[in-house]
Amino acid sequence: MASKGGIEVEGTVIECLRDARFTVELPNGHHVLAHISGKIRKNFIKILPYDRVLVELSPYDLNRARILFRYRN
Amino acid sequence: MNPLRFTAGEPAVEITRITPGLWHALDDDQVTGRGEAITRPDGRVFLSVDAWHRSVFDQLARTMLTSLPEPLHTVADETDHELVAGWRRAGMTIRRREWEYVVPTDPRVTGPAVPPPGVTIESADDGPLHELDRVIRAEVEETVGWQEMPAEVMVRPAGDASMYTVAVENGQYVGLVRVVQLTRLPRIGLIAVRAARQRRGIARALLTHALGVLHQAGIESASAEVNETNVAATALFEGIGARRATSTVELVHHGL
Repeated sequence: MASKGGIEVEGTVIECLRDARFTVELPNGHHVLAHISGKIRKNFIKILPYDRVLVELSPYDLNRARILFRYRN
Repeated sequence: MNPLRFTAGEPAVEITRITPGLWHALDDDQVTGRGEAITRPDGRVFLSVDAWHRSVFDQLARTMLTSLPEPLHTVADETDHELVAGWRRAGMTIRRREWEYVVPTDPRVTGPAVPPPGVTIESADDGPLHELDRVIRAEVEETVGWQEMPAEVMVRPAGDASMYTVAVENGQYVGLVRVVQLTRLPRIGLIAVRAARQRRGIARALLTHALGVLHQAGIESASAEVNETNVAATALFEGIGARRATSTVELVHHGL
Protein backbone atom coordinates (compact mmCIF):
# COMPACT_ATOMS: atom_id res chain seq x y z
CA MET A 1 0.00 0.00 0.00
CA ALA A 2 1.47 3.34 -1.02
CA SER A 3 1.81 6.05 1.59
CA LYS A 4 0.30 9.45 1.09
CA GLY A 5 2.05 12.29 -0.69
CA GLY A 6 3.35 15.42 0.98
CA ILE A 7 2.46 16.92 4.34
CA GLU A 8 -0.92 18.65 4.45
CA VAL A 9 -1.32 21.87 6.41
CA GLU A 10 -3.76 24.77 6.57
CA GLY A 11 -2.70 28.21 5.50
CA THR A 12 -3.90 31.62 4.39
CA VAL A 13 -3.50 33.05 0.91
CA ILE A 14 -1.74 36.38 1.18
CA GLU A 15 -1.02 37.14 -2.46
CA CYS A 16 -2.18 36.09 -5.92
CA LEU A 17 0.81 36.03 -8.25
CA ARG A 18 1.12 35.77 -11.99
CA ASP A 19 1.20 32.37 -13.65
CA ALA A 20 -1.70 31.14 -11.52
CA ARG A 21 0.43 30.91 -8.38
CA PHE A 22 -0.17 32.08 -4.84
CA THR A 23 1.79 32.96 -1.75
CA VAL A 24 0.38 31.08 1.22
CA GLU A 25 1.28 31.78 4.83
CA LEU A 26 1.43 28.74 7.09
CA PRO A 27 0.55 28.83 10.81
CA ASN A 28 4.27 28.96 11.70
CA GLY A 29 4.66 32.11 9.62
CA HIS A 30 6.51 30.35 6.81
CA HIS A 31 5.54 31.42 3.28
CA VAL A 32 5.24 28.90 0.47
CA LEU A 33 4.72 29.28 -3.26
CA ALA A 34 1.60 27.35 -4.18
CA HIS A 35 -0.32 26.45 -7.28
CA ILE A 36 -3.81 24.99 -7.41
CA SER A 37 -4.61 21.32 -7.66
CA GLY A 38 -6.22 19.84 -10.73
CA LYS A 39 -9.44 19.21 -8.83
CA ILE A 40 -9.77 22.89 -7.89
CA ARG A 41 -8.97 23.88 -11.47
CA LYS A 42 -11.54 21.50 -12.94
CA ASN A 43 -14.20 22.86 -10.62
CA PHE A 44 -13.37 26.49 -11.42
CA ILE A 45 -12.91 27.36 -7.75
CA LYS A 46 -11.51 30.85 -7.37
CA ILE A 47 -8.76 31.52 -4.87
CA LEU A 48 -8.60 35.02 -3.41
CA PRO A 49 -6.33 36.77 -0.91
CA TYR A 50 -7.24 35.96 2.71
CA ASP A 51 -8.85 32.64 1.71
CA ARG A 52 -8.09 29.82 4.15
CA VAL A 53 -6.79 26.84 2.24
CA LEU A 54 -5.44 23.34 2.77
CA VAL A 55 -2.09 22.87 1.07
CA GLU A 56 0.11 19.86 0.43
CA LEU A 57 3.80 20.66 0.82
CA SER A 58 6.14 19.29 -1.78
CA PRO A 59 8.25 16.43 -0.41
CA TYR A 60 11.06 17.71 -2.64
CA ASP A 61 10.98 21.40 -1.70
CA LEU A 62 9.26 22.69 1.43
CA ASN A 63 8.98 26.14 -0.12
CA ARG A 64 6.50 24.84 -2.66
CA ALA A 65 2.96 23.58 -2.20
CA ARG A 66 -0.26 22.67 -3.91
CA ILE A 67 -3.63 24.07 -2.84
CA LEU A 68 -5.94 21.11 -2.28
CA PHE A 69 -8.98 22.76 -0.76
CA ARG A 70 -10.41 26.21 -0.15
CA TYR A 71 -12.45 26.58 3.02
CA ARG A 72 -15.65 28.57 2.92
CA ASN A 73 -15.20 31.91 4.63
CA MET B 1 12.42 31.88 -5.39
CA ASN B 2 12.22 29.12 -7.93
CA PRO B 3 9.72 30.21 -10.60
CA LEU B 4 9.36 26.72 -11.99
CA ARG B 5 6.94 24.17 -10.68
CA PHE B 6 8.78 21.20 -12.10
CA THR B 7 12.25 20.54 -10.79
CA ALA B 8 15.36 18.77 -11.95
CA GLY B 9 16.57 15.51 -10.44
CA GLU B 10 13.38 13.79 -11.48
CA PRO B 11 12.43 10.50 -9.85
CA ALA B 12 11.80 7.21 -11.54
CA VAL B 13 8.16 6.45 -10.90
CA GLU B 14 5.70 3.68 -11.46
CA ILE B 15 2.24 4.64 -12.70
CA THR B 16 -0.59 2.65 -11.12
CA ARG B 17 -4.29 2.86 -11.90
CA ILE B 18 -6.01 2.93 -8.52
CA THR B 19 -9.63 3.25 -9.73
CA PRO B 20 -11.15 3.73 -13.20
CA GLY B 21 -10.66 7.49 -12.79
CA LEU B 22 -7.55 7.75 -10.59
CA TRP B 23 -3.86 7.12 -11.27
CA HIS B 24 -0.93 7.41 -8.86
CA ALA B 25 2.72 7.94 -9.67
CA LEU B 26 4.71 6.04 -7.04
CA ASP B 27 8.29 6.80 -6.12
CA ASP B 28 9.46 4.17 -3.67
CA ASP B 29 5.88 3.80 -2.37
CA GLN B 30 5.43 7.56 -2.02
CA VAL B 31 2.66 9.15 -4.09
CA THR B 32 4.47 11.82 -6.06
CA GLY B 33 1.79 12.47 -8.63
CA ARG B 34 -1.91 11.96 -9.24
CA GLY B 35 -4.02 11.90 -12.33
CA GLU B 36 -7.79 12.10 -12.27
CA ALA B 37 -10.52 11.77 -14.86
CA ILE B 38 -14.05 12.95 -14.21
CA THR B 39 -17.10 12.84 -16.46
CA ARG B 40 -19.04 16.08 -16.71
CA PRO B 41 -22.85 16.06 -16.83
CA ASP B 42 -22.67 16.59 -20.60
CA GLY B 43 -20.63 13.39 -20.99
CA ARG B 44 -17.23 14.94 -21.65
CA VAL B 45 -14.30 13.49 -19.73
CA PHE B 46 -11.93 16.01 -18.13
CA LEU B 47 -8.43 15.12 -16.96
CA SER B 48 -6.17 16.67 -14.36
CA VAL B 49 -2.64 15.86 -13.29
CA ASP B 50 -0.85 16.97 -10.14
CA ALA B 51 2.86 16.27 -10.15
CA TRP B 52 5.99 17.85 -8.73
CA HIS B 53 8.17 16.88 -11.70
CA ARG B 54 7.82 17.40 -15.41
CA SER B 55 8.63 13.78 -16.25
CA VAL B 56 6.01 12.52 -13.78
CA PHE B 57 3.43 14.85 -15.30
CA ASP B 58 4.29 13.58 -18.76
CA GLN B 59 4.09 9.92 -17.73
CA LEU B 60 0.75 10.37 -15.98
CA ALA B 61 -0.71 12.34 -18.88
CA ARG B 62 0.50 9.81 -21.45
CA THR B 63 -0.86 6.89 -19.44
CA MET B 64 -4.26 8.48 -19.00
CA LEU B 65 -4.52 9.53 -22.63
CA THR B 66 -3.79 6.01 -23.83
CA SER B 67 -6.15 4.39 -21.29
CA LEU B 68 -9.33 6.37 -21.88
CA PRO B 69 -11.62 6.75 -24.89
CA GLU B 70 -11.25 9.93 -26.94
CA PRO B 71 -11.92 12.78 -26.99
CA LEU B 72 -10.43 13.86 -23.66
CA HIS B 73 -10.49 17.37 -22.25
CA THR B 74 -8.76 19.47 -19.65
CA VAL B 75 -8.82 23.07 -18.49
CA ALA B 76 -5.99 25.38 -17.51
CA ASP B 77 -5.48 28.97 -16.50
CA GLU B 78 -3.89 30.45 -19.59
CA THR B 79 -1.25 32.23 -17.52
CA ASP B 80 -0.13 28.86 -16.12
CA HIS B 81 2.36 28.42 -18.94
CA GLU B 82 3.97 25.29 -17.50
CA LEU B 83 0.67 23.47 -17.24
CA VAL B 84 -0.48 24.48 -20.72
CA ALA B 85 2.92 23.44 -22.10
CA GLY B 86 2.63 20.09 -20.33
CA TRP B 87 -0.70 19.31 -21.92
CA ARG B 88 0.59 20.47 -25.31
CA ARG B 89 3.52 18.05 -24.94
CA ALA B 90 0.93 15.34 -24.35
CA GLY B 91 -0.70 16.20 -27.67
CA MET B 92 -3.59 18.37 -26.53
CA THR B 93 -4.66 21.44 -28.44
CA ILE B 94 -6.62 24.49 -27.33
CA ARG B 95 -10.27 24.16 -28.31
CA ARG B 96 -11.84 27.19 -26.68
CA ARG B 97 -11.11 30.09 -24.38
CA GLU B 98 -13.20 31.69 -21.65
CA TRP B 99 -12.51 35.12 -20.28
CA GLU B 100 -13.12 35.76 -16.64
CA TYR B 101 -14.63 39.18 -16.19
CA VAL B 102 -14.67 41.32 -13.08
CA VAL B 103 -18.14 42.82 -13.14
CA PRO B 104 -18.96 46.05 -11.28
CA THR B 105 -22.17 46.13 -9.28
CA ASP B 106 -22.63 49.89 -8.90
CA PRO B 107 -25.73 51.01 -10.87
CA ARG B 108 -23.91 54.26 -11.66
CA VAL B 109 -21.51 52.12 -13.72
CA THR B 110 -23.74 49.30 -14.96
CA GLY B 111 -26.72 51.52 -15.73
CA PRO B 112 -30.29 51.10 -14.49
CA ALA B 113 -32.17 47.80 -14.61
CA VAL B 114 -34.91 48.75 -17.06
CA PRO B 115 -36.68 45.78 -18.66
CA PRO B 116 -38.49 46.22 -21.99
CA PRO B 117 -42.23 47.05 -21.89
CA GLY B 118 -44.34 44.15 -20.62
CA VAL B 119 -41.44 42.41 -18.90
CA THR B 120 -40.89 42.38 -15.15
CA ILE B 121 -37.91 41.19 -13.11
CA GLU B 122 -38.90 38.95 -10.21
CA SER B 123 -37.63 36.34 -7.78
CA ALA B 124 -38.03 32.75 -8.98
CA ASP B 125 -40.39 29.92 -8.00
CA ASP B 126 -39.24 26.32 -8.36
CA GLY B 127 -41.84 24.95 -10.78
CA PRO B 128 -41.72 27.51 -13.59
CA LEU B 129 -37.96 27.93 -13.05
CA HIS B 130 -37.36 24.26 -13.82
CA GLU B 131 -39.59 24.49 -16.89
CA LEU B 132 -37.70 27.56 -18.16
CA ASP B 133 -34.38 25.84 -17.49
CA ARG B 134 -35.53 22.80 -19.49
CA VAL B 135 -36.71 24.91 -22.42
CA ILE B 136 -33.56 27.04 -22.53
CA ARG B 137 -31.32 23.99 -22.38
CA ALA B 138 -33.16 22.43 -25.29
CA GLU B 139 -32.82 25.65 -27.29
CA VAL B 140 -29.11 25.89 -26.57
CA GLU B 141 -28.56 22.22 -27.42
CA GLU B 142 -30.25 22.73 -30.79
CA THR B 143 -27.95 25.64 -31.60
CA VAL B 144 -24.41 25.97 -30.26
CA GLY B 145 -24.69 23.11 -27.75
CA TRP B 146 -23.88 23.10 -24.05
CA GLN B 147 -20.28 22.24 -24.81
CA GLU B 148 -19.83 25.86 -25.85
CA MET B 149 -21.29 27.14 -22.62
CA PRO B 150 -19.24 27.88 -19.52
CA ALA B 151 -17.88 24.67 -18.13
CA GLU B 152 -19.64 24.82 -14.82
CA VAL B 153 -23.15 24.60 -16.25
CA MET B 154 -25.12 22.05 -14.29
CA VAL B 155 -27.49 19.37 -15.56
CA ARG B 156 -30.43 20.84 -13.68
CA PRO B 157 -30.93 24.17 -11.95
CA ALA B 158 -28.23 24.13 -9.32
CA GLY B 159 -28.97 25.26 -5.81
CA ASP B 160 -32.30 26.61 -4.65
CA ALA B 161 -34.56 29.06 -6.44
CA SER B 162 -33.36 31.93 -4.26
CA MET B 163 -30.15 32.00 -6.31
CA TYR B 164 -32.17 32.92 -9.39
CA THR B 165 -33.84 36.06 -10.68
CA VAL B 166 -36.21 35.70 -13.61
CA ALA B 167 -37.75 37.85 -16.32
CA VAL B 168 -41.50 37.40 -16.68
CA GLU B 169 -43.64 38.28 -19.69
CA ASN B 170 -47.37 37.52 -19.98
CA GLY B 171 -47.09 35.33 -16.89
CA GLN B 172 -44.30 33.20 -18.39
CA TYR B 173 -40.67 32.99 -17.35
CA VAL B 174 -38.60 34.06 -20.35
CA GLY B 175 -35.13 34.59 -18.88
CA LEU B 176 -33.04 33.84 -15.83
CA VAL B 177 -29.84 34.81 -14.07
CA ARG B 178 -28.16 32.76 -11.34
CA VAL B 179 -25.87 34.41 -8.81
CA VAL B 180 -23.69 32.07 -6.76
CA GLN B 181 -22.35 33.62 -3.59
CA LEU B 182 -20.11 31.09 -1.88
CA THR B 183 -17.16 33.44 -1.45
CA ARG B 184 -16.46 37.15 -1.14
CA LEU B 185 -16.56 37.33 -4.94
CA PRO B 186 -20.01 36.28 -6.18
CA ARG B 187 -20.24 34.60 -9.57
CA ILE B 188 -22.74 35.17 -12.32
CA GLY B 189 -23.24 31.45 -12.80
CA LEU B 190 -25.68 31.55 -15.71
CA ILE B 191 -27.65 34.12 -17.64
CA ALA B 192 -30.03 33.08 -20.40
CA VAL B 193 -33.09 34.32 -22.27
CA ARG B 194 -35.45 32.27 -24.42
CA ALA B 195 -34.46 32.41 -28.07
CA ALA B 196 -37.61 34.16 -29.27
CA ARG B 197 -37.25 36.91 -26.63
CA GLN B 198 -33.63 37.81 -27.19
CA ARG B 199 -32.25 41.15 -28.44
CA ARG B 200 -34.77 43.17 -26.45
CA GLY B 201 -32.63 44.08 -23.44
CA ILE B 202 -33.99 41.38 -21.13
CA ALA B 203 -30.57 39.92 -20.32
CA ARG B 204 -29.16 43.33 -19.52
CA ALA B 205 -32.11 44.12 -17.27
CA LEU B 206 -31.71 40.77 -15.46
CA LEU B 207 -28.00 41.27 -15.03
CA THR B 208 -28.10 44.86 -13.82
CA HIS B 209 -30.92 43.99 -11.42
CA ALA B 210 -28.93 41.10 -9.92
CA LEU B 211 -25.82 43.25 -9.67
CA GLY B 212 -27.82 46.03 -8.03
CA VAL B 213 -28.94 43.62 -5.33
CA LEU B 214 -25.30 42.74 -4.66
CA HIS B 215 -24.40 46.43 -4.54
CA GLN B 216 -27.08 47.08 -1.93
CA ALA B 217 -25.50 44.30 0.15
CA GLY B 218 -22.17 46.15 0.04
CA ILE B 219 -20.51 43.97 -2.61
CA GLU B 220 -18.57 45.97 -5.17
CA SER B 221 -17.86 43.37 -7.85
CA ALA B 222 -18.73 39.91 -9.12
CA SER B 223 -17.13 37.52 -11.57
CA ALA B 224 -18.36 35.87 -14.74
CA GLU B 225 -16.88 33.56 -17.37
CA VAL B 226 -17.66 34.23 -21.03
CA ASN B 227 -16.70 32.17 -24.06
CA GLU B 228 -14.62 34.43 -26.27
CA THR B 229 -16.67 33.44 -29.33
CA ASN B 230 -19.95 34.42 -27.67
CA VAL B 231 -20.27 37.89 -29.16
CA ALA B 232 -23.60 38.69 -27.51
CA ALA B 233 -22.42 37.76 -24.01
CA THR B 234 -19.15 39.63 -24.48
CA ALA B 235 -21.04 42.74 -25.57
CA LEU B 236 -23.45 42.37 -22.66
CA PHE B 237 -20.74 42.24 -20.00
CA GLU B 238 -18.44 44.81 -21.54
CA GLY B 239 -21.45 47.08 -22.05
CA ILE B 240 -22.00 47.29 -18.31
CA GLY B 241 -18.38 48.05 -17.53
CA ALA B 242 -17.00 44.55 -16.90
CA ARG B 243 -13.28 44.13 -17.56
CA ARG B 244 -11.27 41.05 -18.48
CA ALA B 245 -9.12 39.63 -15.69
CA THR B 246 -7.86 36.16 -16.64
CA SER B 247 -8.60 33.50 -19.20
CA THR B 248 -9.15 29.78 -18.99
CA VAL B 249 -8.47 27.49 -21.91
CA GLU B 250 -10.06 24.14 -22.60
CA LEU B 251 -7.72 21.71 -24.33
CA VAL B 252 -8.78 18.58 -26.14
CA HIS B 253 -7.08 15.40 -27.27
CA HIS B 254 -8.60 13.63 -30.25
CA GLY B 255 -6.33 10.61 -30.43
CA LEU B 256 -2.72 9.55 -30.54
